Amino acid sequence: MKQRYQNRIELLQGTLDLLILQTLRWGAQHGYGIALAIRANSGDILQVDTGSLYPALHRLERQKLIAAEWKLSENNQRVRVYRLSAAGKKRLASERSRWAQISQAIAGILGPAGEESEA
Amino acid sequence: MKFPWGDGEQRKKELNEEIVSHLQMAARDREARGESPTQAADAARRELGNAGVVQDVTHDQWAWTWLEDLLQDVRHSLRTLRKSPGFTSIAVLTLALGIGANTTIFSMVDSIVLRPLPIKDPDQTAVLAFHKGNGPLQFRFSVPDYQELGDQASASFSGLMCYLSGMDGLAVNGKSDRIMTNYVSGNYFSVLGLKPALGRLILPSEGETLGADPVMVLSYSYWQVHFGGDPNVVGRAVSVNGHPITIVGIAPAGFHGMSPFLSVQGFLPLGMASIGVYPKDFMVNRGERLVIVTGRLQPGITLQQAQSSLGVIGQRLSQTYPNTDEAMNIQAFLRLQAADPQHTTLVISGLFLGLAALVLLLACTNVANFLLVRATAREREMAIRAALGAVRSRLIRQLLTESVVLAFLGGVAGLLLGYFGSSTLGSIHLQTDLPVQFDFGFDWRVFTYALVVALLTGVIVGIAPAIRSSSGLATVLREGGRGIAGGKYRLRRALAVAQVAGSLMLLIIAGLYARSLMEAQRIDLGFDSSHVLNLSMDPNQIGNSEAQGREFYKNLLDRVRALPGVESASIAAVVPLGYLSNADTPVIDGYEPPTSQSVPPFLYNVISPDYFETMRIPMVRGRTFTSADDANTQYVGIVNEAMSKQFWPNQDPIGHHFKLGSEPGHSIEVVGVVKDSRFDSITSPIAPFFYLPFAQHYTFNSLETLQVRTYAAPEAMMPEIQRTIATLSPDLLVFDVETMRQGLYTLGGLLGFQIGAGLAASLGGLGLILAIVGVYGVVSFAASQRTHEIGIRMALGASPADVLKMVFREGAMIVLVGLAIGLAAAFAAGRVARNFLVVSATDPVTYVTVSVLLATIALAACYIPARRAMRVDPMVALRYE
Repeated sequence: MKQRYQNRIELLQGTLDLLILQTLRWGAQHGYGIALAIRANSGDILQVDTGSLYPALHRLERQKLIAAEWKLSENNQRVRVYRLSAAGKKRLASERSRWAQISQAIAGILGPAGEESEA
Repeated sequence: MKFPWGDGEQRKKELNEEIVSHLQMAARDREARGESPTQAADAARRELGNAGVVQDVTHDQWAWTWLEDLLQDVRHSLRTLRKSPGFTSIAVLTLALGIGANTTIFSMVDSIVLRPLPIKDPDQTAVLAFHKGNGPLQFRFSVPDYQELGDQASASFSGLMCYLSGMDGLAVNGKSDRIMTNYVSGNYFSVLGLKPALGRLILPSEGETLGADPVMVLSYSYWQVHFGGDPNVVGRAVSVNGHPITIVGIAPAGFHGMSPFLSVQGFLPLGMASIGVYPKDFMVNRGERLVIVTGRLQPGITLQQAQSSLGVIGQRLSQTYPNTDEAMNIQAFLRLQAADPQHTTLVISGLFLGLAALVLLLACTNVANFLLVRATAREREMAIRAALGAVRSRLIRQLLTESVVLAFLGGVAGLLLGYFGSSTLGSIHLQTDLPVQFDFGFDWRVFTYALVVALLTGVIVGIAPAIRSSSGLATVLREGGRGIAGGKYRLRRALAVAQVAGSLMLLIIAGLYARSLMEAQRIDLGFDSSHVLNLSMDPNQIGNSEAQGREFYKNLLDRVRALPGVESASIAAVVPLGYLSNADTPVIDGYEPPTSQSVPPFLYNVISPDYFETMRIPMVRGRTFTSADDANTQYVGIVNEAMSKQFWPNQDPIGHHFKLGSEPGHSIEVVGVVKDSRFDSITSPIAPFFYLPFAQHYTFNSLETLQVRTYAAPEAMMPEIQRTIATLSPDLLVFDVETMRQGLYTLGGLLGFQIGAGLAASLGGLGLILAIVGVYGVVSFAASQRTHEIGIRMALGASPADVLKMVFREGAMIVLVGLAIGLAAAFAAGRVARNFLVVSATDPVTYVTVSVLLATIALAACYIPARRAMRVDPMVALRYE
C-alpha cells in the first residue's frame, strides 16, 4: 500500500485535461468512470484527485471541448455523462503532438538511459 | 444573451447531484470489495475531499475563471515588473511621454470640437445661415427675417431663437466691469431647454419691444466670481451702459452661451439691445442683419428635411422682399459645421492628433524593442511554462497582460503629463481681455481616450514580442538557449528605421512651423508696430451720450498729444490682427460686379486724422483725413492700393464715390490712397480695405482704441496715459492695454504660428529623443551580438577602423533608409499643413537642415557602440562563447 503511494505521480499542470480528453475518446463516461479509467490505464500510477477532476471537467465543458448530459446508469442512477465534442477531438490531436514534442525534448536533454548508468 | 453565471442556482443543484452520484458509485465499489457500508461511504467522502470546496471550485469554472486568470496575470505582471525597476521605469516613462502628448492634444480638440454645449439634447440644435446668390455664407439674419422664419419653419423646428452678442459696461454699486452680453429672443432659454439656477430666466414675452423689459440674467460663473454666489442678487438694481437694469435670475451652472470660445456673462432681452451700440431700427429693418438664429429640430426631423423646408421659406422671402432678400438661400448647420465652415479647426486638430499619434508610435516601437530584448532573456522561462502545460494562447495572454499593465502605468503617468501640458496650453495669453473660455480641463472623454490609447498601446507593444517568444519553444529547449535572436533582430532593425522616419517627419513639421514663425515676424506688415501703445475703451459702456463721447475722445487726443515723449496719437475702431473687425459690403458707383451680385464683405476701419502717422502707413495719393471732415461735410474715405486696383484699375480713384451697404444714405468720396497693410491675416493676400473718419461714423464706433506713438520705450508711458484717461473720465473701463508689438501675438496673428511651432517642436523633440534611443539600442544590440564575430575578424587581422566601419555601416543603413521614408512622409504631411504656413511646405532649407541634423545625431549615437566594438579584445571575445 505504502509502495503504491510513493509511486504515484503528481499530474503536471494541464496534463489532466489531456488525460480526460484521451479517456473520453473511447466513449462517453461519467466523472467517476473517468477517474477509474485513468487510474486503471496508468497501471495505478496516476491517481486522479477528485478535487481537480470536476473543475477540469467543467472547464473543458465550458470551453466546449466536451459535452455533458444526464443519463441513467446501469444501476438506474442519474449520472452526468461526458463525451468528446468535435473541437475536443481536434484539441486532443494537437495536445498529443505537443506532448510528444515535449517528452522528446526532455528525453533529449536527459540523454539515453544507458549513459547515465555508465557514469 | 446568457451570462456565464446566469443560471447559477440550477447549475449548483446539478453539480451537487453529480458529486453525490460520484460518492455513491465510489461507495458501492468499495462495498463490493468487502468494506462495510459506513466504512465505504466515509472512505469515498475522504477520497473526494471537502465536497463543498470541490463544488465551489467547479462552479467557479463557469463564472470567474477569466477574471481570476486576469487578476493572476496582473499580479504576476506587477511582480515581474517590480523585479526589473530599471526597465519598468524607462518603459513607463517612454509610454507616458507618448500618451501625455496625445492626451494634451486630445484635451484641446475635446474642448474645442467635441465637448457638447451643456444644453438639452445639443444634437437636435442647428444654426441657420444663408447665401445670397453666389455670395459667401452669412450667419447673421435681420430680426424681421428671423420672425418670419420662426412663424414658417415650425414644421421642422420646434423652436427658433436668436441672439446678438455685445460687450457692455456693468456697474454695481458704482464699481464697473466690462462683460460679454447676449441680447436674446424671449424663447432663447426654452429652446435650449435650460432651467434657472436661481430666480428666473428671460421670459418668452420679453424682448419684443425696443427698450422694454430692463432685466438681466447672469451666468452662473460670473455670479459666483463677482457676487460670491449671493442669492440676494436676484432683484438687485444695477446699471448696464448707464441704464438701470434689474437682475432677475442666474443661468444654470456651466452654461456660457453658444460659443465654444467666448464666455457670455449676462443675458438681456433682445429689445434691450437699444442700450448697446446698434442701429436703433434693427428690430424692424430687414436689411440690418445682426442676429444669429439657432433652432431645435422637431423630433424625427433630420437636418436634410429641415434644409428643404428652409429652402422653400428662403424662396418665399426672396420673392416677397426682393430689395433685401433677393436670391436668399437659407441652410441649417450643426453647431460644429457652423463654427468651422472651412474645416480649419478639424484639419489642424487632425494634423496635430496625427503628429501626437506618431510620437506615441515611436514610444511604442522603443518599448516593443525593450520587450523583445526581455523576451529573448525569458525564452527559457516561457519554454518551461509551456512544458508544464500552459496553453500557448494562455502564454500570449500573460505576456500581453504584462505589456498592457505597463502601458496602463504609462497611461496614468501620461495623464499627469498631459494635464501639465494642457494647463500650460490653457494658460497661453491670447492678447485680449475678452472673456475667453479656453477650458482644457479633463472630462470623461479625455480619460476614456487616455485609457483606450493606453490599452491599444499595450497590445501594440506586446503583441509581436508575445507571439514571437511563445513560438518555437521546443527549439529553445532542444538547443539549450541560443535562441532565435536573428529573426527578432530583423524586426528590431525595421522598428528603428520606422523611428528615424517618424521623427524626421515630426521634426520637419516643427521646422516648417518654426521657419514660418521667423518669416512671419520678419514680414513687412505695412505698418510699424514698434513704439506704439494700444488702449481700448467705450464711453457708451458708462452711459455717455454720443455728444459726450465725441467730446471725450477729442479732449483725450489733445491731452495725450501734449504729453512729453508722445510723437503722435490717434484712435481707431479696429487694431490690426486683433479680434474685432468692421465689415461691410460697399456699393461702388459706376462698378458692375462681374457675373453675380456677390461682392464679399470688405473690412474697414474708423479712424481719427493722425492715424496713418501713428501707424506709419504711407500715403500714396491724395490727402489724409483732417479735423474739417465732420458730420456736416461731404462724407469721405481713404482706400488701400488693393481696393484701388480692384475697382478703379488704371485710374485715379480720387473723386470716385461708394456707399456703405449698411448706411446707404451717404455717398462717400474717395480722397486718398494708402499703401497696403496687413489687417486680418499675416499669410493671405491683402484684400481691399478702406478707412472712414471717426467724426462721420461715431454712432456705432464708440468702442475705439487709443494708439500712441512714443519716442522712447512705450511701456514706460503706459501709466501716465492711463492717468490721463482717468482724469477725463474716472469711471471709464480701459481694456486690452498692450503695446502694438504684443498685439501682434493674437490667434490670427503671430500667436497661431507660435503655438504651432511650440507644439510641433515639443512633439519633434520627443520624437528625436525616442528615435535616438531606438537607433542606439539597435546598433549596440547588433554590435554585442557580433562580439564573437568581431573577435574572430580582429584575430584574423581586421583593424579597429575596419570594425568601426562595420558597426557604422549598420547604423548608417538604418538612418539612410529611415531618412528616405521620413522625407516622403513629411512631404505628404506638409501638404496638409501648407495652408497654415508662411514658408513653402517643401521649404528646402527646412528639409535639408533637419535631415542633416537628424542624421548627424543618429550617427553620433552609433559611435558609442562602435567604439565599444573597436575595443573588443579578441581573446576575451573568443573565450566568451
